Amino acid sequence: MPKQEEDRILRVWTPILLRSILITAMVLLVAGLVLDYTYAPDYYVDRYNAVMHGQLIGKEKFGLLAERIREGNPHTVLTLGLFVLTLVPLARVAFCFVLFIKERDYVYVGLTAYVLAGLIVGMMVGSAG
Amino acid sequence: MLEILSYLIALALVSGFIGAISGLGGGVFIVPALVIFAHMPMKVAVGASLISVVATSAGASVAFVRDGWTNLKVAMVLECATVTGAVVGAYLAGVVPTVVLELLFAAMMLQSAYFTVTKRGDDIVTKGDPLAERLELSGEIPDERGHPVHYEVVNVPPGGALMVVAGLMSGLLGIGSGALKVMAMDYIMHIPLKVSSATSNFMIGVTAGAGALVFLARGDVATTIAAPVAIGVTAGALAGSRVLPHLKVESLRIVFVIILVLVAAEMGWRALSGI
Repeated sequence: MPKQEEDRILRVWTPILLRSILITAMVLLVAGLVLDYTYAPDYYVDRYNAVMHGQLIGKEKFGLLAERIREGNPHTVLTLGLFVLTLVPLARVAFCFVLFIKERDYVYVGLTAYVLAGLIVGMMVGSAG
Repeated sequence: MLEILSYLIALALVSGFIGAISGLGGGVFIVPALVIFAHMPMKVAVGASLISVVATSAGASVAFVRDGWTNLKVAMVLECATVTGAVVGAYLAGVVPTVVLELLFAAMMLQSAYFTVTKRGDDIVTKGDPLAERLELSGEIPDERGHPVHYEVVNVPPGGALMVVAGLMSGLLGIGSGALKVMAMDYIMHIPLKVSSATSNFMIGVTAGAGALVFLARGDVATTIAAPVAIGVTAGALAGSRVLPHLKVESLRIVFVIILVLVAAEMGWRALSGI
């Protein structure tokens, strides 16, 4: 694949990828707040007050997200929206990584792999800490 | 609940708007807004800000990437440095005392003010250094007549070193560190200012994303705060980017500098007086 073609693919698809995930995340966040307001406004206020006193609720396990959404927990939709939002950079770097593999541009395969690894290590560091 | 939501969204909207028209990003304004006006703990503000910075970067960088202003290869090379710094910074944010975070934040705001005052024109070089040439970092920008002007890139290692610091500050303080990134690319690596700004904007998403993932996985992001803040900052940044072409930003520069210095003084005072 010529370099110009690679650049064209990046310039066409990166904005589409960024915008799609961003819109999905924003829809989830707005939906989560509307659901919170409709079904659990007191719960929201309680959590807000707890946070203001320095009490964070703690880790939200990835595996529990789907289960809680099935249970109809409106607050989980908010958490899901935030997770989707943080996927924006991960998805973008993963897309570049695949493109560079396809093009056999091994220097950039290495560089994007390092960035991807950094993002994943970040998640692991956070989970452990 | 509606009252809390309206207040948070309004604060975030204004911060995102000022961040977009000043070119400094929303993070540098939303953290002090949450700490000073909403009396929020610093770490909660940092977590919420990191998430919203990811959103604004994704939104703002779309047009720059599409129109060719972003140097994608420079971004990918320098992201290795910023991600390293951001993961370390976000980890340290969990253990560093709030007073240190507030003082660092004040210092970063002063650096942004200095950058806003001393922003200069392009200093294009026509011969890149061997590493930059090996990584194919050169690019083209249109001149006033629309003709392409070729630029080369130099000083990749020192630029990368400053990017590690930018990432560290981003993870620690919940900001995009855009001013530091642009300084590294413009002053040290001699990348044209508009390309530096567009590339910095693009990179901020990954830098803040790395920090946000640490915060989120650690359970240090308050969804009740982060969700309305992300919505507000994104909407504010979008509105800011729409009105930006119609504003005389040069005349507003002094206003931004005054805001930055005042907020830096307030954050520094809070840290030293133990509020």
